[in-house]
Amino acid sequence: MAKTLVIQPVTRIEGHAKVTIQLNDAGNVDLARVNVIELRGFEKFCLGRPVEDMPRIMPRICGVCPWSHHLASAKACDAVFGVEPPPAGKKIRELCNSIAYMEEHILHFYFLAGADFLLGPDADYSIRNVIGILKAAPDVAQRVVKVRHMAAHMLEILAAKAIHPQAAVPGGFTKPLSPQNRDQLRKMADETLDLAKFSIKFAKENIFPKYLETVKSLGVITTGFLGTVKENGALDLYDGKLRLMKPDGSFEDFPYDRYTDYISEHIESWSYLKFPYAKKWGGFSMDLAKPTGIYRTNTLARINVCDHIDTPLAQAELVEFREKFGRPAQLTLLYNWARLIELLYNAENVIRLLEDPDITSTETRVKVTPRAARGVGCTEAPRGTLIHDYTTDADGMLINANLIVGTTHNNAPINMSVTQAAKGLIHDGKYDQGVLNTVEMSIRAYDPCFSCATHRLDGKVSVKLDIVDAEGKLVDTLMN
Amino acid sequence: MPENGQSNLPEYCRKPTLVLGCGNLLFGDDGFGCALVEYVESHHRVPEDVCMLDTGTGVRNLLFTLCLSPARPQRLLIVDALDAGRAPGELFELDPADIPPIKLDDFSMHQIPTSNLLRELQETCKVQVRVLACQTGPLPTEISLGLSAPVQAALPRAAQWLVSEYMPECGRRAVLLPPGLP
Repeated sequence: MAKTLVIQPVTRIEGHAKVTIQLNDAGNVDLARVNVIELRGFEKFCLGRPVEDMPRIMPRICGVCPWSHHLASAKACDAVFGVEPPPAGKKIRELCNSIAYMEEHILHFYFLAGADFLLGPDADYSIRNVIGILKAAPDVAQRVVKVRHMAAHMLEILAAKAIHPQAAVPGGFTKPLSPQNRDQLRKMADETLDLAKFSIKFAKENIFPKYLETVKSLGVITTGFLGTVKENGALDLYDGKLRLMKPDGSFEDFPYDRYTDYISEHIESWSYLKFPYAKKWGGFSMDLAKPTGIYRTNTLARINVCDHIDTPLAQAELVEFREKFGRPAQLTLLYNWARLIELLYNAENVIRLLEDPDITSTETRVKVTPRAARGVGCTEAPRGTLIHDYTTDADGMLINANLIVGTTHNNAPINMSVTQAAKGLIHDGKYDQGVLNTVEMSIRAYDPCFSCATHRLDGKVSVKLDIVDAEGKLVDTLMN
Repeated sequence: MPENGQSNLPEYCRKPTLVLGCGNLLFGDDGFGCALVEYVESHHRVPEDVCMLDTGTGVRNLLFTLCLSPARPQRLLIVDALDAGRAPGELFELDPADIPPIKLDDFSMHQIPTSNLLRELQETCKVQVRVLACQTGPLPTEISLGLSAPVQAALPRAAQWLVSEYMPECGRRAVLLPPGLP
């Protein structure tokens, strides 16, 4: 009897998603689809607003990654106004970006994906959570927590508020960094670097070896990659050019304001979310045996596309990573490993920026004047390449706005990875909660943020698994 | 905990009373919690020992930090919009213990405060946790600013309750700012 399994929503990812797994008469997987809810009406909402309002509005779109939206929006405004922030303004923005990255990556590795690794994918839901991790590894957890606190406090020092930042403005940054605050931050940065070094060592010794077989098999697909690099090909998370790499490792670089020449968007009737794909690779197909046009973003993509990393500790980790897995590395769960290399890079980058004499200059912004123009801002958000594209009239009012967020780039790959994972794990109609959560693991590796839409404290069931036969008749419902 | 350790903690961990306004201002009545924080801050002087934050949709990140922090507030108030089948604009309190221990216990950073984090704060960390909820009207399907009339009308009542419960000394000392002044 053909069945459909529905996991709704996938938990421990940012937002909501429903996974539908269609079984055939033999009880094997026909296909899997990840259905998502998308933020709607954004463009209409923006039209007619002064473009300088956008960096203040954008952190409201998502409370999970406000800094990425804030900075991409400020960069798009720079482009619209045709200005370049002074060195200090640009470097303080980058500093905030790196600190926010550390906070995000620590959270994801230890407490979102970490629950699977530290407690096991088949652990009971009541313990497979943040409290469970605290109890399972209290020393590690406390250390992690301390540095997360510190990162939040560092952002408060730099921008006055970390939750809905407003300090990045068109033309730069509103708040110069005093030498006293720089010295305060510099001391804190040593501790964040210590944790970054500890994290990757801890993971390589205690976590990755244990799950190497899972890493080699779960959610594995072959795709291209997209990420940002400096002019010399080094990893960059705040600014640079985009690099689109084919599965064979060849690549093409382009300025991010020309993204529409390289990226197109495919639509599927069963998903609200679009499916971006590489325009010049011969079309779009999510066929596992012969995918076409598919590329991935986020940590693994960035680690793959860069030629090198210009901080010494992260570069050493990159070399080791490539010796083990090649370039480009395709194993989906390596996103978690790549995340830790980026954590190390950001910790080193924070120190580098704080030791840069420019960082305490009081010249952090330039004046801007409204004009009719189009401007594109692009940063690497923790979850992938983030593009803000604004057009204004002569008064500086928005007449067009388009966003491509990190998770949207990964829409097709996530669907492919779930299909691959489900095919490998569900046979002859046999499944249990551990298997289904393992399927979810392949999604969580991408650290997706599916929706920043509304939320309710309604106490309704969050996870529901419906089993229906080929005629759509409900056979069984499982809840937790 | 040593003083230098405390000073590295965010302010919301260090002050004895914490009020968190939750929701998304871009989705109509869902922004009630954020609007209440703005209302209270613009009509009252918030005392030094109270940290009041508009957390938007990022509340879980903050609760997560609080839950694991070596220093925490003694009292926590969550203010949020809720659809509980009541009349729009109705204010009511919810006990975290009454939130069903469903898979919200599992960890996600979105949605409103995770029930297990609130219970953990209350039961293990001994923080007094209360939830003030406001019944929403229909929520928009697209981005839309602004509260509905019944929920907007609930703001002064909610503010009065909040001030009397959490900052009574402020209520006596506070100067109600005349309209038009910042």
